[in-house]
Amino acid sequence: MTRPYVPWLLVVVALALAAVYLFPLYWMYVTSFKSGSEIFANPPTFWPREIDLSIYPNVWTRRTMHVFLWNSTLIAAGVTAITVIFGTGCAYVLARYRNVWLDIGLFSVLMLQVLPASVMVTPLFVAFNQFGLLNYPRTAVVLAAAAKAMPFFVVLVRATFMTVPRELEEAALVDGNSRVGAFFSIVLPLARNGILVCAILTFMSSFGEYIYSKSIIQAPALQPASVGLSGFLGPNSTDWNAIMAYSAIYVTPILAVFVLLQRRIVSGLTSGALK
Amino acid sequence: MGVIMETGPAVGGLMRRFLASLRDGVGFDILLVGAAMVFLIAMAGLPLIYNVLMSFQQVDMFTLGSLIRPWAGFQNYIDVVREPAFWLVAKNTFIFVFFSMGGQFVIGFALALFFAQNFPGASTIRGLFLVSWVMPGLVVGAIWSWILAGDFGVLNTILKGLGIIQSNVFWKSDPAFSIWAVVIANIWLGLAFNMLLLSVGLAAIPRDLYEAAELDGANALQRFWTITLPMMRSTIGAVLSLGLIGTLQQFDLFPAITEGGPANTSTVAQYWSWQMSFQLYDFAKGATISVMMLVLVLIASIIYVRSTRHEVRG
Repeated sequence: MTRPYVPWLLVVVALALAAVYLFPLYWMYVTSFKSGSEIFANPPTFWPREIDLSIYPNVWTRRTMHVFLWNSTLIAAGVTAITVIFGTGCAYVLARYRNVWLDIGLFSVLMLQVLPASVMVTPLFVAFNQFGLLNYPRTAVVLAAAAKAMPFFVVLVRATFMTVPRELEEAALVDGNSRVGAFFSIVLPLARNGILVCAILTFMSSFGEYIYSKSIIQAPALQPASVGLSGFLGPNSTDWNAIMAYSAIYVTPILAVFVLLQRRIVSGLTSGALK
Repeated sequence: MGVIMETGPAVGGLMRRFLASLRDGVGFDILLVGAAMVFLIAMAGLPLIYNVLMSFQQVDMFTLGSLIRPWAGFQNYIDVVREPAFWLVAKNTFIFVFFSMGGQFVIGFALALFFAQNFPGASTIRGLFLVSWVMPGLVVGAIWSWILAGDFGVLNTILKGLGIIQSNVFWKSDPAFSIWAVVIANIWLGLAFNMLLLSVGLAAIPRDLYEAAELDGANALQRFWTITLPMMRSTIGAVLSLGLIGTLQQFDLFPAITEGGPANTSTVAQYWSWQMSFQLYDFAKGATISVMMLVLVLIASIIYVRSTRHEVRG
């Protein structure tokens, strides 16, 4: 008799767990809605006594956020473009054929996936310095971050290409298509959704890129939003409602995209992540 | 076309065959893989070798612009080990890696088991957890830095309300807690990804194994030990080694929460290496520390490749 009630109890527990896990996000928004004196109330208020949004326009202009966000967008767009253009073809070939050379290629892509950015940043900085690339700091960051993002993209998109039936491509070849023609008119359209999701994931993660930008870009006018945030964040910060408002402006677009595409992102990750 | 005809039929034929292969043969595949590989070799492979080379050279402001620098042998390695902070950083790195991985794995596994139950909305609610994975690391660090703040932080309030602590813990400025502040934030950041991968592994276990065990009278704990854990072995291997790799890649939380302080009590290898290069401009030491770390990462990735090998081959 009690059987039908058990799932609903589980749903309640699941929602409670999710609420505990997402509390930091809630806390970010709530803090940004509080006034400068209320954030130091003791004990803290879990719901703002009065909602004060004035910090948002204040932070936006005082921190020149439009410059930072524009730079973040540029960098993320560049990284995504390079990753998609180079990575898609590579993933396709790695999914279609098997021989010793491609096994070595796949193995090295898997290996590159694990290199920490903090390991790569020192040699990249010194090498960019020698080639004069530091004069074009955003380009340098795009190149470095694309090399970091590409292996993961290749692994995920390869899993997508594996689901495209080979017979369709062979039929197109029999019908007189060239390899190039079959790739662009048959394979790519069938894998489009998977590639799109992976491209969006690449965009979102490079939108938050920090270490390369912090190390390579010196001029504040060229820095992305992550470096802008680090400018007034430290162990002794007190400006918390401003920091949280900045964070909220920064991540809300990412969160919106995530909520819209959640199902696809999760299924894209699960198909590729363990392969 | 005219130029090709004039240079002779042999070269023209070769050129045509090359173009045809590019459009319709193996040349197409080589072009696709080759473009990506050249880019990755230039931007990741060569810098990696350059990093190892620099760790054996004397690098200072005068030689920064040249490739051939005075040879230093193992002097950089000796210098790094003799740094007063070396053993402290090694201990912090161990604490950070071990407890981050442990926390992410245990909590992630528990959540994965819970969400493997059959109830409405399970996969949607589980998907919400992944939101931490798409957030910029620096923003996560900023939020946790505020939650963990000593005097007005909400974590202290909650812990006091639950009766776990009596007075405020200064997470970020107390040398006994500073590394734990970053560990807590990193567990939060990484556990969703752990849970997702473990959920995939759980879903792949055939249901009838559990039904057969249940008919044989095995209780829940016995089923977990005799079915779930053995069937999950390769997934667990992959998740643990990805956890190790991910933890060694974690950088953004350190500048956001503690900046390695106070007095290096929360500095780990990856942050120390960056500080050497970009705050003290000692690129040789920075490169040396990152080579040391690289060895750790390579060990982890060998385990990872071994545990996922059959999936790669499949």
